[in-house]
Amino acid sequence: MKKVINLTINGSPYEVEVEPNLTLNALLRDRLGLTGTKISCAEGECGVCTVLIDGKPMLSCSMLAVAANGTDIITIEGLAENGELHKIQKKFIELGAIQCGYCSPGMMLAVKALLDENPNPTRDDVKKAIGGNLCRCTGYVKIVDAALAAAKA
Amino acid sequence: MFRTLKPFEYLEPKSLEEATGALSKYGTEAKVYAAGVDLVPRMRRRVIQPKCIINIQNVEELDDVIAGNGDGVRIGTLASKRSIEISDIIKEKYFVLHEAIANIVSIQVKTQGTAVGNLCVATPASDVAPALYVLDAKLNVFGPSGQRLIPIDEFYLGVGKTVLEPNEIITEILLPAPAPNTGGAFKKLVRSAEDIAKVNAAASITMEKGVCKDVRIALGSVAPTVVRAKKAEEVLRGKKIDQKLIEKAAKVAADEVTPISDLRSTADYRKETSAVLVKRILAKAIERANG
Repeated sequence: MKKVINLTINGSPYEVEVEPNLTLNALLRDRLGLTGTKISCAEGECGVCTVLIDGKPMLSCSMLAVAANGTDIITIEGLAENGELHKIQKKFIELGAIQCGYCSPGMMLAVKALLDENPNPTRDDVKKAIGGNLCRCTGYVKIVDAALAAAKA
Repeated sequence: MFRTLKPFEYLEPKSLEEATGALSKYGTEAKVYAAGVDLVPRMRRRVIQPKCIINIQNVEELDDVIAGNGDGVRIGTLASKRSIEISDIIKEKYFVLHEAIANIVSIQVKTQGTAVGNLCVATPASDVAPALYVLDAKLNVFGPSGQRLIPIDEFYLGVGKTVLEPNEIITEILLPAPAPNTGGAFKKLVRSAEDIAKVNAAASITMEKGVCKDVRIALGSVAPTVVRAKKAEEVLRGKKIDQKLIEKAAKVAADEVTPISDLRSTADYRKETSAVLVKRILAKAIERANG
């Protein structure tokens, strides 16, 4: 049986009718066209599906859309403001931290959650914050550099 | 890989009575949903195909509060592992639990997933469970016949199996007050940091003038359920502690585990490293107890 849920996504209110077996990831990507949020392992291991729910990094692949009713969600599409990229996005581009790009949305949202909580992180803090995000280009050094540069920007 | 989940009936009970009523109706065909972090991937892989999902996030009596409870602490069923990790009272009084969760690398998994959910999955590789064993935790459980308390070391029956009836719900974790001069430590061995444990171990020890007043040692991933190394504890309890005795206890602990060989390790490796881990966590726990 379908259920109507109300969400705020990237600052805009949404009222959508969902089947209970729809994951939040499928809602974002397939229904709402917000394909910036990726899907890869679909088991909660890789972190590419990360979105911020009420400010906290969570796995959209491992959550039912219906259970996200009433939450405030930020996806990678919601990071830029007034047509200008967020400082995290700018630094990822400037410092070559966007490689194949597939982990980048989840990675940047994990960094956003960190900087919201701790504006002056150490290198170790950044590594811990992205512990749940795998980069198969294995270019973590530039990602950590970009996160630290964004903190200082 | 299946991208979609098979259809199921979905309920959002507002009270424990409603939730356990639904669980009584569906029995083993129902699964409780607290955060989805374990449940949803298993449903996607068709490991389980529940007919009914019961989301307990809106149950009025359940909460995510971590707070003092008499001399001890209670952790609400909906508390995330991350909120437990960063809780001041947990860091201050139950450091071993903080340390166990701090060693789980995925912030997302910790932020979304609950500690109680982790216990209910009943994986032998849980990092939370050995820490709760050495803290002498109790689980408060609600069912159709009312409330009951289950000591953590009576909770597990086997891989994926617990003493919870299909229509019972854990409502909180209760931790007793630690005795003065108590220290704890947790360590695990992993293939790579984000993987589950090959072997993990937790200890809590109470010291008085160099003598071990009380001690608890628990190991994970080395048997179908968490193992309390009670014989190793007996080696230490009431004795003046020195390095030789720690090493003896570590060897005895390794004899108490019954590991298997699998893709992560061989049984022999797990047995040998159990002794190494126990030796190291005991040293650390004693240092913290004395500190």
